[in-house]
Amino acid sequence: MSDSYLEIKNVDFTIGGKIKVKNASFAIENEGDTLCILGPSGIGKTTILRTIAGLEKIDKGSIKLNGKLLSSKDNNVEPEDRNISLAFQDNSLFPHYTVEKNILLGAERNKGKRKKKLSFKEIVDFLDIENILPKFPHEISAGEAQRASLARSLLTQPDLLLLDEPLSNVDQSFKEEIQVRLKKILSKLKITTIIVTHDSYEAFYLGTKCAIILDGQIKQFDDPYNVYHFPNSVEVVNFLNRGILIPAKVTGENSLENDDLGTIKGNFIKHYPKGSNVQLLLQPEDLEHDDKSNLKLEVVDRKFRGTNFIYTLKTNSDLLIPVFVHSHHEHQHEADEKFGIKRPINIDHIVCF
Amino acid sequence: MYLKKINFWFLSSLLVSIFVVIPIVTVFTSFFEDTSNYYQILKDTFLFEYIFNSLVLLISVLVLTFLIGTSTAYLVSFYKFPFSNFFKWALILSFAVPPYIYAYSLTAFFENYGTLYSILKNLFGEANYNQSIPKFDGLIGAVLSLSFSLFAYVYILSRASFQYQSQNLIDLGRNLGFSKAKSFYSLILPAARPAIVAGLSLIAMETLAEFGAVDFFSINTLTTGIYNSWITFDDLAFSNRISFFLLLFIFAIFILENLSRKKARYHANTKGGFKQKEKIQLSGSKAFFAFSICFLVFFLSFLFPLSQMLYWTLKFPENLFDIPIVTLILNTLYLVLLSSLVLIIFSLISNYGNRVSKNKTLNALSTLSISGYAIPGVILAVAFITFIAWFDDNVVKALGFLSIKKMFIGSILGLVLVYFVRFYSLAFNGIKSGYEKINISVDESSYLLGYSKKKTFMNIHVPFLRNSLLFVGILISLEIIRELPITLILRPFNFETFATTAYISASEDLLEAAAVPSLFLILIATLFIMLTSKYILRENER
Repeated sequence: MSDSYLEIKNVDFTIGGKIKVKNASFAIENEGDTLCILGPSGIGKTTILRTIAGLEKIDKGSIKLNGKLLSSKDNNVEPEDRNISLAFQDNSLFPHYTVEKNILLGAERNKGKRKKKLSFKEIVDFLDIENILPKFPHEISAGEAQRASLARSLLTQPDLLLLDEPLSNVDQSFKEEIQVRLKKILSKLKITTIIVTHDSYEAFYLGTKCAIILDGQIKQFDDPYNVYHFPNSVEVVNFLNRGILIPAKVTGENSLENDDLGTIKGNFIKHYPKGSNVQLLLQPEDLEHDDKSNLKLEVVDRKFRGTNFIYTLKTNSDLLIPVFVHSHHEHQHEADEKFGIKRPINIDHIVCF
Repeated sequence: MYLKKINFWFLSSLLVSIFVVIPIVTVFTSFFEDTSNYYQILKDTFLFEYIFNSLVLLISVLVLTFLIGTSTAYLVSFYKFPFSNFFKWALILSFAVPPYIYAYSLTAFFENYGTLYSILKNLFGEANYNQSIPKFDGLIGAVLSLSFSLFAYVYILSRASFQYQSQNLIDLGRNLGFSKAKSFYSLILPAARPAIVAGLSLIAMETLAEFGAVDFFSINTLTTGIYNSWITFDDLAFSNRISFFLLLFIFAIFILENLSRKKARYHANTKGGFKQKEKIQLSGSKAFFAFSICFLVFFLSFLFPLSQMLYWTLKFPENLFDIPIVTLILNTLYLVLLSSLVLIIFSLISNYGNRVSKNKTLNALSTLSISGYAIPGVILAVAFITFIAWFDDNVVKALGFLSIKKMFIGSILGLVLVYFVRFYSLAFNGIKSGYEKINISVDESSYLLGYSKKKTFMNIHVPFLRNSLLFVGILISLEIIRELPITLILRPFNFETFATTAYISASEDLLEAAAVPSLFLILIATLFIMLTSKYILRENER
């Protein structure tokens, strides 16, 4: 951890004298990596960014960037001397300058500091904001202001880029395209970035690592794949809200038994002794639909999600289980109908608590 | 840790607060000092009259300004009729006519052998019109002068509130089947109530502080009592005793105003569902009625005093040459520039200090500093003299230094210092409202772009605040041009402004001679109002 590009050690992140995230330690190993911070509203995600940017001070622990101490109880490098850029969630454009002038102010900061540079034109094209350049901040929409603010931050080419919900106001139709472009540009310029978001898909797509913050602490810090597939606590499962926990009994090295679903096979990611009672994480993609199966559950609800349907099924013990079905599947089931589940149930990795 | 908080920003705010607190403390401590025998005599005779007159004046002016201010604001906010857009800003021109000049016009027009007499004589020939021409002097004259000069406070604030009322509110009234009249009484007026109360509180403070008009009509109020006991009886302590009573009145109103402002914020911040109101087009007799009301108010509040002063200036052109106009303009400019500069610089420092330090003590000091506006000019001036005299006798001389009285009393320095206390809230709040439009994350973005605090201030704040500073500068100038009691009491010997020249001529019964400085005063003030009208109206449309 001592050679990490960004190193946060035992820091209490506080705002207005109130501790938001306690005794946090994490690191970004390599320059150019992207860390996504996920967590519910008001949990302290923005406070973390503000503290790293130097806008909030710390009384405990240390923050180092590229080996240089930025914050500790006795040391605090001023925000203007950190070369860290923060794109705020709300509109932080200078109200008396046009969007163009606002963005160009970003270019003034890092003249000649980096080898790989991005021109003003490239960044404007990349974020598709050419038409708003002559306008003033009050004349543009919230989404446009966010893109302009992002452009300004990118143009500073900072040592660390902090983005606070950078696309929260951008239209859904345009959002995915911007995500693709953002990822490409961050990787091209090798800018180390921390992105705060509440959108788990955005975090999984953009992040090299993800940090999940719950109850004033970092609950999980891992690769996006692992965060999704191997959540390390019930709280993380509940936060991601992508499956349910059902009671089961461990029956062997690779199997469990549930009263409603019968035998479930797969690879345990953690060893449990035979006979243990556990809570098994069942995610929507873990079960397969099969009309011929004799394991039938009652359909309670069906949500159409474009590429797929999510059926909510009720078991005999009144558990509600989500199941994905491709939307081109030959037929659909209505509420109260019976829905077949393929047996034997095989789950690639078994997560229990 | 605490020492860290005591920095440049803290000290400058502390200094300003001390300035403002001095007159208040002086008045309160002087209350317990010995006075001359006149106090006993006056207490038994006139004190009750002072309080009674002040109250009658206050209530009458409040009722009249409420009626004039809200009715005209309602008409221009909700309806379209001939010249309604013109009246929207023309009605604030009444600010250009201080109550004392209105009083001169009123007297000049209705007095025996006055302007009205001349008009009737020219129209219908010689006759004894004096008997049938009503006389608007005494208390009625003062009420009319103050009301037509001050109603714009209610007009501006209630218009802003009406303007802000969402179309949804009006649609809701219609949906509930309310008539227009019922909508007005049940929805529109209650929603605008905090704004109206805020406007009336300002008028109440101005009325209690008014000196020129009540003095001209020889009405004994608390304010004239303060001035007279100082001028006639040379009894500063007695002056301060009357000030004490007046301050009690003012504090009550100040508290009321603050309470209502808190509620006003609730309305002003309504963003959701805001839809620009569609004004209703009036036609026929309704349009004529609306036009007539607005024109009548515009005529009585602005055209009437302006034409009266113009008429006399033209009728007695020799006065134009008797009055040193160039000197008066230069004196006015000197005072205006110096005071505006000092006020703007200190207000900027204080505002910026509050913004960057986020210090609660500093914030409290700033709130205290803006209370100077509530204290009448007469009290400020008399208390300032009292304090300087006390300080000179007890501190300066005791330490063996030369007297400082001359440096502060009857000097530009003293004058500017008292203006500072009186108008600091104007400057501070004007700049503050500009600052409130700059989101704090703008400052933070600037730091993150590598700008220092100084560079952020110079490159981001000052350019953005440029219009606010200009607006504040003009507002201060407008107030100083119209200001009478402070200038009258504290000005250096032979240093006159348009206001003092007009007052001196009028108090010597030379109303014709008062016309020229009054006319210049009205014209300069009108120019300033026209320059700021866009801001005043737009500021309130936000």
